[in-house]
Amino acid sequence: MADLAPSAPLLSVRDLHVQFPTERGTVNAVNGVSFDLYEGKTLAIVGESGSGKSVTAKTLMNLLPRTAQVSGEVTYDGRDVRALAAEKVKHFFGVQMTMVFQDPMTSLNPVKKVGEQIAETLRYHLGRSRSEALEEAVELLDVVGMPEPARRVSQYPHELSGGLRQRVVIAMALACQPRLLIADEPTTAVDVTVQKHLLDLLDELRRNRGMSMILITHDLGVAHGRADDVAVMYAGRVVETADARTLFFDMRHPYTEALLRSIPRIDDPVHHRLDPIPGRPPELIDPPDECAFAPRCIYAQSDCLGGVPELSGLVGLHRFACLHPTGTERGMAAMSSNRAAGATAAGLPVTGSGGGSG
Amino acid sequence: MAGTGHAQLRDRDDVLLRVKDLVVHFPAGRRRVVHAVSEVTFDVVSGETLGIVGESGCGKSTVARAIIRLVDITAGEVLYEGRDLARLEGEDLRRVRPQVQMIFQDPISSLNPRRRVRDVIAEGLAVWGDDIGSWSRDRIDELMDAVGVEARYGARRPHEFSGGQCQRIGIARALALDPKVLICDEPVSALDVSIQAQILNLMQDMKRRYGLTVLFISHDLSVVKNVSDRIVVMYLGKVCEIGSTAEIYSRPAHPYTRALLASIPEPAPTVEVSEGGIGDELPSATDPPSGCRFHTRCPRATDVCGEVEPVTEQVGDADHYVACHHPAAVEISPR
Repeated sequence: MADLAPSAPLLSVRDLHVQFPTERGTVNAVNGVSFDLYEGKTLAIVGESGSGKSVTAKTLMNLLPRTAQVSGEVTYDGRDVRALAAEKVKHFFGVQMTMVFQDPMTSLNPVKKVGEQIAETLRYHLGRSRSEALEEAVELLDVVGMPEPARRVSQYPHELSGGLRQRVVIAMALACQPRLLIADEPTTAVDVTVQKHLLDLLDELRRNRGMSMILITHDLGVAHGRADDVAVMYAGRVVETADARTLFFDMRHPYTEALLRSIPRIDDPVHHRLDPIPGRPPELIDPPDECAFAPRCIYAQSDCLGGVPELSGLVGLHRFACLHPTGTERGMAAMSSNRAAGATAAGLPVTGSGGGSG
Repeated sequence: MAGTGHAQLRDRDDVLLRVKDLVVHFPAGRRRVVHAVSEVTFDVVSGETLGIVGESGCGKSTVARAIIRLVDITAGEVLYEGRDLARLEGEDLRRVRPQVQMIFQDPISSLNPRRRVRDVIAEGLAVWGDDIGSWSRDRIDELMDAVGVEARYGARRPHEFSGGQCQRIGIARALALDPKVLICDEPVSALDVSIQAQILNLMQDMKRRYGLTVLFISHDLSVVKNVSDRIVVMYLGKVCEIGSTAEIYSRPAHPYTRALLASIPEPAPTVEVSEGGIGDELPSATDPPSGCRFHTRCPRATDVCGEVEPVTEQVGDADHYVACHHPAAVEISPR
């Protein structure tokens, strides 16, 4: 195994592609995703449904259906993760790298006591005896803030609230002291007061254990408050990635900008007219050879329709895949020419007042 | 309210809907009942949008369903234009229903998958034709156009549309009978963020164009703030706080409202983030806590909260009412 400099990333993904053959044609779910994740950091992957964020996560965890066609490199601590998956290596997935899913009810076994479900993980991966494992399960439930853990181990999932169930799932994920936790919409199914507790818990665990985390979410607010770095995905590609502050306050990709503008905010005035993104996300079967956002983009020029723009710059820096980025001279020029013409190169009408930082 | 009381009712001529002491119980087996809605009181004036906000299990959807009689009302009144919907039966109830229409959370499952969308939109008109103006091709085209679905797609079935398009079709269906009241139960919660804004703007446009009065139910505080003139905050079947949107968001008085505002990922500037630290265990609705139902999670709770149920009282002289023994320090009228 190669010697790693201390600054080497824990997880490195390069040019990941995932395709699913279907009756209607090949779905290009992930189209060349690359990112690095360093020890102790949180990367948020943000996108709407169909953007490829969950497929990316499942690819990392080797959870895709067999029909999926995957290419690209995934390196974890110097090891080739896809090779590990192919060799059916035991005690890697679920130990080094674990995952928490959106709906705790479907990730728990409904007819098994929660303590036994946690213990099962410990017995299989770490070879604990039944009684040791059950004792540890109580400790783990305590760590994740479960009230009365000694009593809860003998309860069934249906006896717990959604928030407590998700704590059980987190306890299972932590059982083998993972270095990387992938959380796929971990708080989407719970109420805001519970969401806050769960996100606080994940933050605390990450800090105390030096764990790294990938947080998959559609909620930009969650990404903003909880991530060091953010990658925005659209139509299977990362279209912009940067540290959270830069991404939210000095974004370059028109999609990032449009997404942030379209969301109602708690400090907006009442009846504030929203700025929606026109149209809808593209089909992932036979996508045209153009920027996937161009048909909805108020900056679109003819060169946007001539090919898919590449991500600028180097991995780890502020990168964006746009020929006419917002907040730059090229972007401003594109916007004013579209306004003058009354429409973008893709035919989207643009009015004088409509959106854009202009 | 987490209490009871009627202080929030307005004595105005243009009150279109008045819900008074509404109670909805569901049987939970072994002679136990779920107290889904307990003595909820509010009113809606013509042309207003009333937002109902709260977490899952607070009874917000049940209130909406009870108004339109999709669930049985255990007790209380639902006065609509002076008539008590809770007491109407048979033909009388049927005749009122076209005036109160509903939009649901899941846009796809709320449309019959086997029917063409044009027929889905037209069904109410086909049923009510003689009374409301018989349905015509033009009328359906106009509705589809109004909600932004091209009329030439009318022969397609719901699965051929995206979630956002299906929600537009659901809105067209609700508007077909020219209702006065539109009840929207989490209408954008299942939609992607980039589509949410489209639908929210559309609903504002439709409200203006068709002169609607709207009941808007959502768990999303930012969305509710955007659309509502007045807001009811509910907790475990009770009203906590009610008032104009500006009042509720700029001077939240109930500890539960404050906790909600502090818990969202980017907390409201009017509360401290630490106020979001309420426990995450919702008490059982089959055996709700005594006194104020929120007292088991409330950071301000004292002995009285577990014993005496608070009654809504006006906050200052604003359109703002709170049911709490220890409301946050906004000027409260002397009790």
